Amino acid sequence: MKFLAISLSAVLCAGSTMAQKVSLPKDLPAYGPEAPLAAPAVKTTKLDNGLTVWLVSEPGFPKVALSVAVRGGFAADPADRPGISLLLANTIDQGTATRSAKQLAQDLQGAGGDLTAIPGKDSLIVSTNVLSSKLDKGLAAFADVVRNASFPDAEITLAKRNAADNLKQQESQPSFLAGRAMAKVLFGDNPYHVTSATQESITASTPADLRKIYAERFRPDQAVLVAVGDFQNDKMLADIKSRFDSWKAPSTPPVPAPVAVSAAPRHAVSIVRRPGSVQTTLQLGMFGPMRSDADYEAALVANAIYGGTFGSRLTTNIREDKGYTYSPFAVLRPYRAAGVLVTNADVRNEVTAPTFNEMTYELNRLVTTSPTPDELKQAERYLVGTEAIQLQSRDEVANELARLWVNGLPPEEIGVYGKKVAAISADDVNAAAKKYFPAARTAIIAVGEEKVIREAFAPFGIPVQVLP
Amino acid sequence: MGQQWKAPTSMKKLANGLTVVVSEDHSAPTFGICVSYGIGFRLEPEGRTGFAHLFEHLMFEGTPNAPKGVLDRVIEGGGGNNNGDTRYDFTEYIETAPISALDPLLWLEADRMKTLDFSPKNLDNQRQVVEEEVRVNVLNQPYGLFFGIDLPGKAFDTYPNAHNFYGEFKDLDAARIDDVQKFYEQYYTPGNAVLVIVGDVKPDDVYAKVEQYFAAIPSGPTRPKAQIDEPAQKAERRFSQTDKLAKVPALAIGYRMPPRHSSDALAGAVAGELLHNGQASRFYQALVKDKQVALSVDGGVNWPLGTPFEFNGPTLMTSFVVYPPNLKADQVIAAYDAAVKDLAEKGPTQDDIDRIVAKMRADLYGNLEIPISRASALSHAVLFDGTFDSVYQVPEDLAKVTPAQVKAFAAKYLVAGNRTIIDRVPAPAEAKAQGAAQ
Repeated sequence: MKFLAISLSAVLCAGSTMAQKVSLPKDLPAYGPEAPLAAPAVKTTKLDNGLTVWLVSEPGFPKVALSVAVRGGFAADPADRPGISLLLANTIDQGTATRSAKQLAQDLQGAGGDLTAIPGKDSLIVSTNVLSSKLDKGLAAFADVVRNASFPDAEITLAKRNAADNLKQQESQPSFLAGRAMAKVLFGDNPYHVTSATQESITASTPADLRKIYAERFRPDQAVLVAVGDFQNDKMLADIKSRFDSWKAPSTPPVPAPVAVSAAPRHAVSIVRRPGSVQTTLQLGMFGPMRSDADYEAALVANAIYGGTFGSRLTTNIREDKGYTYSPFAVLRPYRAAGVLVTNADVRNEVTAPTFNEMTYELNRLVTTSPTPDELKQAERYLVGTEAIQLQSRDEVANELARLWVNGLPPEEIGVYGKKVAAISADDVNAAAKKYFPAARTAIIAVGEEKVIREAFAPFGIPVQVLP
Repeated sequence: MGQQWKAPTSMKKLANGLTVVVSEDHSAPTFGICVSYGIGFRLEPEGRTGFAHLFEHLMFEGTPNAPKGVLDRVIEGGGGNNNGDTRYDFTEYIETAPISALDPLLWLEADRMKTLDFSPKNLDNQRQVVEEEVRVNVLNQPYGLFFGIDLPGKAFDTYPNAHNFYGEFKDLDAARIDDVQKFYEQYYTPGNAVLVIVGDVKPDDVYAKVEQYFAAIPSGPTRPKAQIDEPAQKAERRFSQTDKLAKVPALAIGYRMPPRHSSDALAGAVAGELLHNGQASRFYQALVKDKQVALSVDGGVNWPLGTPFEFNGPTLMTSFVVYPPNLKADQVIAAYDAAVKDLAEKGPTQDDIDRIVAKMRADLYGNLEIPISRASALSHAVLFDGTFDSVYQVPEDLAKVTPAQVKAFAAKYLVAGNRTIIDRVPAPAEAKAQGAAQ
């Protein structure tokens, strides 16, 4: 039951008045008192085989979200199989020792679920969401995927064909090209540069490769199992033990930890040629904090003020005031051994230079000026509120907990994030801005027509190169 | 076997006709609001295709009391987000935020139910935005939503059900500000609206607030019941199209469905999901896996614009099948027909039914878990039926559907004479070059 989104009026309305300039109607009621988000109570356990188990019991609503995260993702892919994590994720449910792909799909469907497997730089997260009345059936199929995936030859042949087609399709999309180029420019030869497979790695990948990598990464001592929803903790733990206790860790060493990177990249423009492009996709990227760094929340608030929200300075400037672009964004992406701050805007060719100019201006303005009390409050309310809305879903609670584990953080972090954000001061924002946001720290990616981009950047005196 | 679940939900009607529904959810200090108006694509005037959706955009352009920008500022400053959707039988406005933003957002919803900023400048501006949206989502996309726009256009015969709901540019261009005002006065009235609040609230508090903000809005005119019926389909309809952007051909297949409240409708919803829902579905297994004549299959009853339960007029069971360029459409249709025939002749097993009904229950509950989407589902039920009972009852009714009913449904409705097929193939290379040059 997937639906087509037909309208995004609020998100797409062009040329609306600057959000910050609008004065509020005199009769409009004020915001009511803030209600704090009650952090989910997480019961943590470790099984004898080393499997970390985090349980959140929320009886009532009749579903259970299950997630397993294992260490090792794109950054752990063999050098001659970059991106094989994606093929692994796409085929992990295509058969086990005792179930065919069809049986797995039917067993999960019968429990009310689907299987999702998402590769990240540091991890693979496998999840499902089932009716609590069918939990036993769902957990059995889910555990089978996590423990006994078999990567049957015929299924892998079909999946490789689809992966090759998908990659071709993706390579026509500027956002994909920009993201791939940015990772390469920021991370160089560090394995963190891998964001996707290549046609060569897809062709070269075999069922034996997949089985080997699966065996290396899916082991209880390098995994967390998160369950959130309609169950009692004791019963759930017993059920989990019955499905996972006999899972044994191999004696081989686990996937090595990623190597940290944070040296500022060369402040240069890297062009990705896209002949005939009517837009330039501009990305400015720099290193930021990791999730476990003390100034992570300060950098998040700084980013929200700079470009991370609809009312932010950058969006107000280049979208609302100047109309250069529909949907600029600025995000902080934390990985286990690096954090990346990326600003993105797709702009029509003729405003490539002025957009870059305004991005640089807003980055440096964040460094040199303090946020107003209103900006600070707006940004913090937005971040705290967004978290509360996100955690309405049990799936999201499970996935957020899995992501915390991947980033080396304890489950209690889910309850203190909002408090940390709300406590950030203007001084904290200034400090994070000075440390991370100077425009000179950025690498620049421009996807589009080479001639347009070269002409746009000529006046800035920044080195320009073309990526292969 | 089932696992019934209901959220505490109640309903009241204000003197001006506005229906208010409140459903409690104290799992997070947040809420979702949905205001659904009983106006959608079907009722937009002839010569004004796309107008219901264009109008939806204008609801975000401010009012004399709360100029453009206020709504965005209050929502984002309140830590929330908002959106609007137009469908065949409703237009809805949805917001979600931490509970502290409830009062100002209710006030703003009441404000735009009272009046709008009817400015030709806003109309021109949003006309451009909508035309840009159509370019992005239709004209510049491979397949151009042909399974959602062209297919009903061919499968139905009357204007309400067959016209292009995104809008012909000539019609969008022809819209005038007095059309906007007339449409607003006719359809955006309390009696044609359902307001639903779901979240960390006490119903009595909410009813008091709604009374305070909405009671003074005049009730407005009553509307005559619209004529949206279709003459019966007599024979299969087949069409072919070319596509300048798609690299791979695709089929759209649409069967006319029985009315939502008929005895066949539930079996139809089950059949639709049995055939289309996920990797366990019959079409996925038959076409993508076993015979490998398709790259992907999507679809269902009332797909892609809603669930099999959220429509209030003629609709289709649609399949969207992308197939390999080395095959002919007839080879794909033959495999498709074999899967349909299997269902119509042998019927599903009780196991098949149990599985898909569990999945449908889980999907429906998943939708009700989130306050903003629960508000949306409740509002549509009340708008169509005057009661929200079906939202919680449908999973129980589905559990009673039998294999024989699904078999009978397939034999009666999933027949060639009841369907329309569009085969959409990539345009030849020289046509593509011409297209690019234009």
